[in-house]
Amino acid sequence: MAAKEPVKRVIQQVRPILSLDRDEARRRVLNLYKAWYRTIPFIVDKFDIPKSEEQCKSKLREMFLRHKEVSDVRVIDMLVIKGQMELKECTKQWKQKGHVMNYWQETVEPKPADFLSKFMSGQN
Amino acid sequence: MASLLRSISLGLRSGLAQNSGILSSARRLKHSEPAVVEETRPTVRKPNTVQRAHFIDFGRYVAECLPKYVQKVQLTAGEELEILIAPEGVLPVLQFLKDHHQAQFSNLVDIAGMDIPSREYRFEIIYNILSVRFNSRIRVKTYTDELSPIDSCNEIFKAANWYEREIWDMYGVFFANHPDLRRILTDYGFEGHPQRRDFPLSGYVELRYDDEKKRVVCEPLELAQEFRKFDLSAPWEQFPTFRNANPATEVIETKQAEQK
Amino acid sequence: MLRVPLTRAICLTHSSRVLVTASARLQSNIPAKAPEKVEVFIDDQPVMVAPGTTVLQAAAQIGVEIPRFCYHERLAVAGNCRMCLVEVEKSPKPVAACAMPVMKGWRIKTNSEMTRKAREGVMEFLLANHPLDCPICDQGGECDLQDQAMVFGSDRSRFTDIDHAGKRAVEDKDIGPLVKTIMTRCIHCTRCIRFASEIAGVDDFGTTGRGNEMQVGTYVEKLFLTELSGNVIDLCPVGALTNKPYSFSARPWEVRKIDSIDVLDALGSNIVVSTRTGEVLRILPRENEDINEEWLSDKSRFACDGLKRQRLITPMLRKPNGELEAVEWETALIGVAQAVQNAGDKVAAVAGSLVDAEQLIAVKDLLNRLGSELLCTEQKFPTADGTSGTDFRSNYLLNSSIAACEEADLVLLVGTNPRYEAPLLNTRLRKGYVHKEQDIALIGPKVDLSYRYEHLGNSSSIVQDIASGKHPFAQRLKSAKRPLVIVGANALSRSDGKAFLAGLHSFANQLTPEDKNWKVWNVLQTNASQVAALDMGYKAGVEEIVAAGPKVLFLLGADGGAINKDNIPKDCFVVYLGHHGDNGAPLAHAILPGAAYTEKQATYVNTEGRAQQTLVAITPPGMARDDWKIIRALSEVIGTSLPYDNLDEIRDRLEDVAPHLVRYGRLEENNFYAQAAQLAKLQASSLQGDIDVKQRTLADFFMTDSISRASPTMAKCVQAVKKAQATA
Repeated sequence: MAAKEPVKRVIQQVRPILSLDRDEARRRVLNLYKAWYRTIPFIVDKFDIPKSEEQCKSKLREMFLRHKEVSDVRVIDMLVIKGQMELKECTKQWKQKGHVMNYWQETVEPKPADFLSKFMSGQN
Repeated sequence: MASLLRSISLGLRSGLAQNSGILSSARRLKHSEPAVVEETRPTVRKPNTVQRAHFIDFGRYVAECLPKYVQKVQLTAGEELEILIAPEGVLPVLQFLKDHHQAQFSNLVDIAGMDIPSREYRFEIIYNILSVRFNSRIRVKTYTDELSPIDSCNEIFKAANWYEREIWDMYGVFFANHPDLRRILTDYGFEGHPQRRDFPLSGYVELRYDDEKKRVVCEPLELAQEFRKFDLSAPWEQFPTFRNANPATEVIETKQAEQK
Repeated sequence: MLRVPLTRAICLTHSSRVLVTASARLQSNIPAKAPEKVEVFIDDQPVMVAPGTTVLQAAAQIGVEIPRFCYHERLAVAGNCRMCLVEVEKSPKPVAACAMPVMKGWRIKTNSEMTRKAREGVMEFLLANHPLDCPICDQGGECDLQDQAMVFGSDRSRFTDIDHAGKRAVEDKDIGPLVKTIMTRCIHCTRCIRFASEIAGVDDFGTTGRGNEMQVGTYVEKLFLTELSGNVIDLCPVGALTNKPYSFSARPWEVRKIDSIDVLDALGSNIVVSTRTGEVLRILPRENEDINEEWLSDKSRFACDGLKRQRLITPMLRKPNGELEAVEWETALIGVAQAVQNAGDKVAAVAGSLVDAEQLIAVKDLLNRLGSELLCTEQKFPTADGTSGTDFRSNYLLNSSIAACEEADLVLLVGTNPRYEAPLLNTRLRKGYVHKEQDIALIGPKVDLSYRYEHLGNSSSIVQDIASGKHPFAQRLKSAKRPLVIVGANALSRSDGKAFLAGLHSFANQLTPEDKNWKVWNVLQTNASQVAALDMGYKAGVEEIVAAGPKVLFLLGADGGAINKDNIPKDCFVVYLGHHGDNGAPLAHAILPGAAYTEKQATYVNTEGRAQQTLVAITPPGMARDDWKIIRALSEVIGTSLPYDNLDEIRDRLEDVAPHLVRYGRLEENNFYAQAAQLAKLQASSLQGDIDVKQRTLADFFMTDSISRASPTMAKCVQAVKKAQATA
């Protein structure tokens, strides 16, 4: 409990976006995750993407875990807000097939890392 | 306060308000403007001293009425009034300016953003408002950072809806209690806020149609061509001693400022 | 007091068209007994200045820039444009600030009503006859007249051409392939005239007529033939003299300007490279008091169009039938690697004249890893058996520094023509000659150095006589306060160069100049890469390689002709690494395209031992790559990766080898003169024959390396000079 005290004080100094403490932020993240999880069958069905539900779920998990190090409540809130907007764009089908497929970045080739391949491709 | 209002209403009653402009009673209030030398040069714009005096008095009045929120009142470019307020004060100040009988700034012309990364609160949000009744335009400015939300003024000015969406999209400033905050200019799935100063001119990604995939794909950007770069440092500024431009901003003395 | 006539400059000029013969700066050179400072007031600001300071200089001291056209701080004061008129309190008329020395207690007003009116009046007169063709003028955007008209001119015109008489018009002059003239735009500031007669030493320009009929020109149709002609373009405050190859190609505000270093001679002049859309458009000088002041030689300025022609843009391998075939980098590197692996330690490298330090160190590291020490430079430098003449830095540097050359009182030039080998060193010597009573003597062929000198003869026996003290000139050197001996690198690359080095070096060491730190012994290098290569332990001259008969030979931009078909073994696999298809490339079995000096961030060491770096102005064309990266990639294919992947790492390696190579802009002190002379003396031998220099006349100056040989502008210059010489 003692460790939580200074954290709380910092939170109180700034204006919160949505959540007042970590627990609330955590609840929002889980809710968002659940919402996405439940939407995935519809996404696969409506968007005609060459991905199975399992692949989508693992991608969803990957996207959430990408931010697992984030601890600032306000940053978490901001990410949740943006995630919520993305979800809405998907469920309302404002996005098109290409937008959804961009989560996978299939056409991106990894950049050359070692000196020789950088030299051959002319990149520094 | 009361005497001030009385003097205003007096001014109105005596028909001085016929010539447009807010607070025509300005002439009655003592204003400490030094006598400006009359501009005679034909190529230089003549300053509107009447308008200027009105704005100075009105700025003082607003600062006096809302001492909690108004932090600074200033004139830019000689005769444009700016009211700088704390971020908590967006709603009360705008409400005041809209509903006050002597202001009636009923029209929100635009909301603009500005990014100065070196500041503690890097974003400025600028409300341009128009009083149709008095044919007058002023600016209200406030500040925030990436994570502090600003109250949406959608309840006061319905016009704010899309403007605030635009600010959110371009700068990533979150507006609390906005009815429909979502992207407005960028493409679905676009990441980042393009008007931030740290956002590169070329963006981070490029889109192209992929023939194999039969769809538009999004890839990290590789610049094939360099930008045309213009050297815009004006060469005739090499004699800066001979340039005497007007100051960019002039702060209007208010009571708060004196107390500080 | 102010206008001291330059008697020496006058006696140089054979015509009587000397317009301006005064120098305000000479003033400061006369040692006065602690001049008492006088107080003057500029716009009511007090400032203490030495007596004799002009109003303009006094104002500049407190940051007030008075507008001017004719005044230039490196030229004599002319005082004929009147733009610098300022009001002085209690003076009935405004005074010309550039020519008027201040008096005690003067109150100068640089922004008063009278001053402003005077400026507007001058401006009005200038513009009454200046054409309004700014939209088609190349000076537009960097024009003094334009800028100052904006600031100081009147905001309306009284010019009404009611009779349709038109403005004054002047016929254009043809003064050569480099400088374009539109003489109608001339405002008669006479800066070009003063530059030609004072700095360049060719008294070609002058004025004819007076009043409205006054014209600047050459009087008779004549080319402005000097190695410094491009500088009048920078000096011209309007668009009367503009850059001919650059004309109508870009506006100054849309080009990118990158600071860099010139490598076409060994001085390392500081330059600004202007580029647009991936092309070098023009090269301008950058001010550096220690090296080039603010001038630049014509080769450095105008040879940049050679960077676009004759370029190697793709790796090439020679097919069995003898043709060169363009290949991918991978194929080329594997081809070269195979040859290197088969050669064992019989690998050698020759460095040409434009190679940077990074490439030199990479090649050296690679060859050392392969077990070879055969690293040479194209140009010879006398090395003794067993000991090397290049062991001591002081042996091969211009030790006294370029700037100090103007301070000397007696200069002996041996086997060099500084006017064409290092034009900006020559302007220093001329400056010393004109302003500081410097005497100059030359051993070598009689050439025109743009100033008078004592010609001692061109026989090498004179060198021996001086070295042994028999020659009368030796006595003069001994009694001189600040003597200089400048030996050309080409003289030292003779087969008996050893004797030059031994004799003159030990003689120079015997001299006892007034100042203990004064350095007498100087070598004027001609190649930009030579000093860095010798610093790094490259051997000078290719004899060792020829004797060893290598199986693989790397030519690092070696186009000088030291290596040819006849002096390497028939089965030798030659790899050419460079940017131009010049003399070296036809020999090659493999060509690896590198970057020119405008395309890489690279280190060069100039002839005085100052390390400087070029910056990337444009990307290398086609598949060309940074030179050291090619070596680094090759090393990986061969199987002995060099331990650096980026510029910082290779610079760390450079620092390990020779720390001064990465101390940019600094001049390192050299030492061990006595030991160097002693070592050289052991190897002394006799001298025979005459001394010659490679560049005798202006025609020899323009094309000396792969870049300038590829430049069409330089070719035009050579043609023009030859034509002018034939008709003269």
